Amino acid sequence: MYVELKNVNKKFGNFTAAENISFSVPKGSLAGILGPSGSGKTTILRMIAGLETPDSGDIIIDTQKVNELSPNRRGIGFVFQNYALFRHMTVFENIAFGLEIQKKDKTFIKNRVHELIKLVGMEGFENRRPHQLSGGQKQRVAFARALAPNPHLLLLDEPFAAIDAKVRKELREWLKETVKKVGITSIFVTHDQEEAAEAADKIIIVNRGKVEQIGTPAEIYKNPATPFAAKFIGDAVEIENYGNFHGFKIENGFEKALIRPEFVRISKIEDEIYPYASERGTVDGVSFKGRSMEIKVNVRGKSFLAYHSLEEAPIFAGEKVSVLIYKMYLYNNEKVKLIENASLKNEQEFSI
Amino acid sequence: MEKSFVKKILIFLGILFLAIMLVLPLVSVLFHAFENGIKVFIKSISNEEALKALQLTLIAAGAAVIANTVFGIFASFLITKFSFRFKKIFSLLIDVPLAVSPVVAGLMLIFAFGKRGWLGPVLDYLGTKIIFDIPGILIATIFVTFPLVFREIAPLMQTQGTEEEEAAAMMGANWFCIFRKITFPNIKWALFYGSALCASRALGEFGAVSVISGHLREKTNTMTLYVEILFNEFELASAFAVSSILVMISLMILILRTIAEYKAKKWEDK
Amino acid sequence: MFKGTFSADKNKAIPGFGLSFGITFAMVGFVVLVPLASIPLMFDGYSFKDFWETIADKQAVYAYVVSFSCAAFASGVNLFFGIVLAWILVRYNFPFKRLLDGMIELPFALPTSVAGISLTALYSDKGLIGGLFNMAGIKISYTPAGIVVSMIFVGIPFVVRSIQPVLEKLDRHYEEAAQIMGADSTHIFFKVIFPEIFPAAISGFGMAFARSLGEYGSVVFISGNIPYKTQTLSLVVMNKLEQFNYPGAASIALVMLAAASFVLCLSHILQIKRK
Repeated sequence: MYVELKNVNKKFGNFTAAENISFSVPKGSLAGILGPSGSGKTTILRMIAGLETPDSGDIIIDTQKVNELSPNRRGIGFVFQNYALFRHMTVFENIAFGLEIQKKDKTFIKNRVHELIKLVGMEGFENRRPHQLSGGQKQRVAFARALAPNPHLLLLDEPFAAIDAKVRKELREWLKETVKKVGITSIFVTHDQEEAAEAADKIIIVNRGKVEQIGTPAEIYKNPATPFAAKFIGDAVEIENYGNFHGFKIENGFEKALIRPEFVRISKIEDEIYPYASERGTVDGVSFKGRSMEIKVNVRGKSFLAYHSLEEAPIFAGEKVSVLIYKMYLYNNEKVKLIENASLKNEQEFSI
Repeated sequence: MEKSFVKKILIFLGILFLAIMLVLPLVSVLFHAFENGIKVFIKSISNEEALKALQLTLIAAGAAVIANTVFGIFASFLITKFSFRFKKIFSLLIDVPLAVSPVVAGLMLIFAFGKRGWLGPVLDYLGTKIIFDIPGILIATIFVTFPLVFREIAPLMQTQGTEEEEAAAMMGANWFCIFRKITFPNIKWALFYGSALCASRALGEFGAVSVISGHLREKTNTMTLYVEILFNEFELASAFAVSSILVMISLMILILRTIAEYKAKKWEDK
Repeated sequence: MFKGTFSADKNKAIPGFGLSFGITFAMVGFVVLVPLASIPLMFDGYSFKDFWETIADKQAVYAYVVSFSCAAFASGVNLFFGIVLAWILVRYNFPFKRLLDGMIELPFALPTSVAGISLTALYSDKGLIGGLFNMAGIKISYTPAGIVVSMIFVGIPFVVRSIQPVLEKLDRHYEEAAQIMGADSTHIFFKVIFPEIFPAAISGFGMAFARSLGEYGSVVFISGNIPYKTQTLSLVVMNKLEQFNYPGAASIALVMLAAASFVLCLSHILQIKRK
């Protein structure tokens, strides 16, 4: 393990920013700390960087305990949320700064900076100043500046938050590729689940200063370990009295359920396949989401979301439809449980 | 139709006000200074007393600019880049001299550093005299202009945040390097503006130094005190001549300040 | 996102905390705390009764009336012209506008005593402006009117410089929206613009008032320093100092300090309320 946190705690006055945080990141991998704003994710990153000091617990980088080590001796590159480019310096000077501090000789600096400018695809922009760059370009320069002194660990604070949605996706792929190419261990912080899922090898979900779940994006998506993780990942809608739906019974200790859009299939009534397992619902709204339609459907006074393929017969607002709920997550304050539509199971058994 | 009429009236009112209240007094100083010819003017400003007053004024203003610029830099760095206990109290204390009338400021200094002041015995023991002497004039001038540089640069440093400094520190830069290469270039024009503001206030300081000087002619006379003496002795031509020197220095600083302000604005817009 | 507000985070990344703290603390200590600590000493051996007698003395009471009424009147005039000046400087274009804008700073830049003697000469019976008024039988120098004139001089930049930035930032869409809804320009000014600049105007008024109240340099010459008539509070303090009546001077000074703080606090509260 390259980076390890063991029982790290941090309070600001009465506010708990980190409580018993423990996780590890293997060498060469890209980890994402995911959580809502105020969850303490930025504080965790700043503690790894040495910008904040933990009240207790250990932070270990490359087998060395670094709690007392000043930030500049931790071998870290840090990309700030708003990039923190030195506003009066050119792109070249920004990237060269760390090397100049290390008193490297001029030709070395020149070569290294040009190498990095090439890596981030900013050739021709060497003499621009930050205010002449777009958000994506600033991000690339900040990235190059962080990499210049050859750090062993790269930390990125909300790296895409300040960038247009369109450029964001492209930059995300670029970052993942480049990080892999350089082979540097990296940790980034984000509040966007899609971003974490797409870029990270491993996701660490934090909420209220605590780690909720650690795992690969697929693991976390498939098996949310805590109610928070289940609610935070996927566009789940919360439902009470889930026992009213066909194929589901109230289970002891679980009062509420979560339904993700992928768990629901909507079809025209004439196309209904499993009448015993299905419900009738009314379409409240339809919105186009690029690759599919997102449908808001109302069943027995509860509304939730479902996707509908563009290839299928179109569905319109106000239409009566057949709604099949495959499965849902039941949850209480501590646990999450996946249950499947019982009627559907039975019906499938009959049909075999 | 109606709009342009209102516009004309308002512009006329504004210009009239400025002309009568601000420009006329300025012009009248210069007019009276040269009223009795250039010879009288030169004689008024070249006698020993005038030169000594000019010298003391320049020393006091210089001391205030240096002390308060150094203070402004460190204090604003402290207040805006770090978080620590009693920060609010610190910034409040820094502003105190602005709330105090200069005459009252002089009074406080007498009770601190004077013979009956609480530091009096210490100063007596050291054999130094502050009140009714040149050091007192310097301290009084520093006191009344104390927060001016700080107040110009602190808000700017606050809006610029700490990320750039943090980024530099993470790469191993020391304090001096961070200040010289990161912080200073971002605030230089505001710093210059603040220093110039401090200089012009220091040059014109009257109330506090008037209390501190003890009206010792020649020894503790600044330009403004000298002007007062001349005016009270009905030496109007000399009073205006000496004043005109102050006016010219002040105007020069004002022009420099306006340039600095313009540059600072341009810099901030980036 | 989170800032440690409770303790000096020593291990924070940025170096220089110790150095900055040391220098700042030393200078604040020497320049501010040492003089502040002398305040109790001013009243050494001075009973509350003495204090009360000093501040309720006839000379002092007249000075309150002169100082407060002149400062209030001057600040009121400045409020009006401050709004006019800020308005024309932000909204209109006319020749020499930049020069005019720079001139607002003159009272900050000019030594107040120089302004004092100049205004005294201008507004005296033989002066350019005083002469005109004298023909109408009005005297300005050596009367309360003169004090008001010099207070207007020192106070005007505070009001203009408070309002100007607010007016610059004010979104013109408001006015355009009001215009589309059919409001006339007087209506727009009082219903849309004035409420926006009101807090800044109050703050400028407060600062100008506080400054006028403590003003000495420009007032001393033009007032004539006539007890019970044109003696302001700072002149009373100076008067007592010259008689080496330090506790007496300190008593009046304390009242001035309290009044100035009160006005500043009040304008501060009004501003916060508006937000």
